[in-house]
Amino acid sequence: MGAEVVAVGVEWLGAFLSSTVQAGTVLLLAALGETYAERSGILNLGVEGMMIVGAAFSYLITLATGNDLLAILVAMGMATLLALIHAVISISFRLNQIVSGLAITLFGLGLSGYLTFPDVRVGILRAINPSLPMSMAYRQSTPKLPDISIPLLSQIPVIGPAFFRQNAIIYASYVLTVLLWWFLFKTRPGLNIRSVGENPAMADSLGINVYLIRYVATLLGGALAGLAGAFLFIGYQPFWVEGMTAGRGFVALALVIFAAWSPLRVMAGAYLFGGVEALQFRLQVLGYGTTAPQFLLMLPYVTTIIVLVALSYEMIRKKIGVPAALAIPYAREE
Amino acid sequence: MVTRWVSVAVSIGAVLLAVFVTAMLFWAIGRDPIEAYAVIVHVFVDPGLLGESMARGVPIVLATLGLIVAFRMNFWNIGAEGQIYLGMFAATGVVLWGAASHMLPPALMMPTMVVTAFSVGGIWGLIPAFLRAKLQVNEVLTTLMMNYIAMLFVDYLVYGPWKDPHGHGFPLTIPFPDYALIPLIPGTTITSGVIACVVVAILVYYVLSRTKLGYEIRVVGESASAARYAGISYMQVALLGMLISAGLAGLGGLSIVSGIIGRLRPRASPGYGYTAIIVAFLSELNPWIAVPAGLIFGGLVTAGEALQAALRIPFSGIQVFQALIFLFVITGEFLKRYSLEVSWGRR
Repeated sequence: MGAEVVAVGVEWLGAFLSSTVQAGTVLLLAALGETYAERSGILNLGVEGMMIVGAAFSYLITLATGNDLLAILVAMGMATLLALIHAVISISFRLNQIVSGLAITLFGLGLSGYLTFPDVRVGILRAINPSLPMSMAYRQSTPKLPDISIPLLSQIPVIGPAFFRQNAIIYASYVLTVLLWWFLFKTRPGLNIRSVGENPAMADSLGINVYLIRYVATLLGGALAGLAGAFLFIGYQPFWVEGMTAGRGFVALALVIFAAWSPLRVMAGAYLFGGVEALQFRLQVLGYGTTAPQFLLMLPYVTTIIVLVALSYEMIRKKIGVPAALAIPYAREE
Repeated sequence: MVTRWVSVAVSIGAVLLAVFVTAMLFWAIGRDPIEAYAVIVHVFVDPGLLGESMARGVPIVLATLGLIVAFRMNFWNIGAEGQIYLGMFAATGVVLWGAASHMLPPALMMPTMVVTAFSVGGIWGLIPAFLRAKLQVNEVLTTLMMNYIAMLFVDYLVYGPWKDPHGHGFPLTIPFPDYALIPLIPGTTITSGVIACVVVAILVYYVLSRTKLGYEIRVVGESASAARYAGISYMQVALLGMLISAGLAGLGGLSIVSGIIGRLRPRASPGYGYTAIIVAFLSELNPWIAVPAGLIFGGLVTAGEALQAALRIPFSGIQVFQALIFLFVITGEFLKRYSLEVSWGRR
């Protein structure tokens, strides 16, 4: 009897952790990219729009070709194009970054809806793959990315399956997190990115190309937002719904502040927020909130606000290198 | 004078460019752009559709006028959408309470709804204002998050306690009685909400340019530190400003349930609060321009539906169109600034 209860508990915990990692990865990828953009001084409220465009293209491409890798690359490419618009407006034209980002989010939400509208979608799919059967073109779901078990590591009880029986993008996110942390804090170019975000005039006088670094960081942010969108669709919830990002891009922005612009802390925060989302699903599965699921659905947004408020009390913030020039355009004095 | 002229020219150019790019989008999916724009223009000509358009323009105008107040004090209120939902909640609450208790004479119904929608919307807006003023919590993110919370809260009500018991299980409240609806201007198809928009625009203009609060909003908007030296309390200005800003969005919510739908249902606002941000920038935070601009954007919502029905062009095509106007208008700022520099150079 007791052993059975424990077994059920362990199974529940395993499933919960596994979906925590999946939900967290969406936020992790987007927030990693945004960390770089903000470290260089560029605030990008367009993450939400880049993410949904990434999700839409991964849907269209997997449906048309069945090629996951191609879908991911196209999703990242399209999101990078949107990031390029944001970069031109906020770096070259030195206009308001909040407004530019919002415009890109609205554009992305509209465009993703336009391209995936059944009529339009069928045309696009047929153009990519003329031999695609009509019945396929009306599908809203595609096969999810397969899980790969890592030998030995996936045998660890509870933790093993949660972290090491997942799909390729999740494994890539582990590597990316460490790599991006190492690059930002342990290399010369990483130092340059941080100095551009803290004091662009000083960095410029030291011969660092402020504009180039901001462009690269913003485009990287776009590419990762696109990857986050692609993962959301093919790696997590492979059923297309218009507006399926549901504000996750904005939650990722809050996560960057929560993590004080450090990739490693972003990872911890992403799993925390992912855990909230997973908990909401698990509670619904257990039958809680069947009469009022809306309050469970509010959890991620409420958590974000609580975290933002709690953070304002945090004196530690002052100790960490905060990008002081965030959202301030840089004009070179001639 | 040169810059004023350039400014108008750039805005018109931005809109025309958006018209052109959107035409290409229609053409790309095999639709005739001319035909599509004929459908859009028809919306503003046909009396029935025009009435519908104006009704949809009212919440956009009211939310825009509110945003103008917030943006003038450099407070990035992205939360008009949520404040609209709170206004819908409050207005509907008054109607349901009045219908159940019979304690509210019909003549007092609309005034009570107006006061309640303004207050409840406004109080929702006080939360991010307080957090920003007291704890420096970034208002962009709090207002954004609160949009989702407000929308889910209304979902909860109409799927749960406020569901019409005779509504065959649909997530709808009871239909509003006639005296809780916004009447049409006699002899026309146009909602009298349009008149309210003009009145509110006059009030906003008056507050911003003729009162102490308006002066303080301008000073805070230009420089928060200068405001502190001038002895202006940021907390006070932020709270009052956001009360007005969010309260007006709340009235926008009232105009949706009482002027468009006649009841409350889930997702009753198709993003009017975000459209209002676009209109605020297009009208350069000018309340006079905001009224016609907002009404036109209301027409675009109707046009979006007409396009989908008549030509099977997705409704999101209109969202793309609006976003393109936004993108080109803000990019146009660069041209305006550039022309300013050029004209100075000549002098």
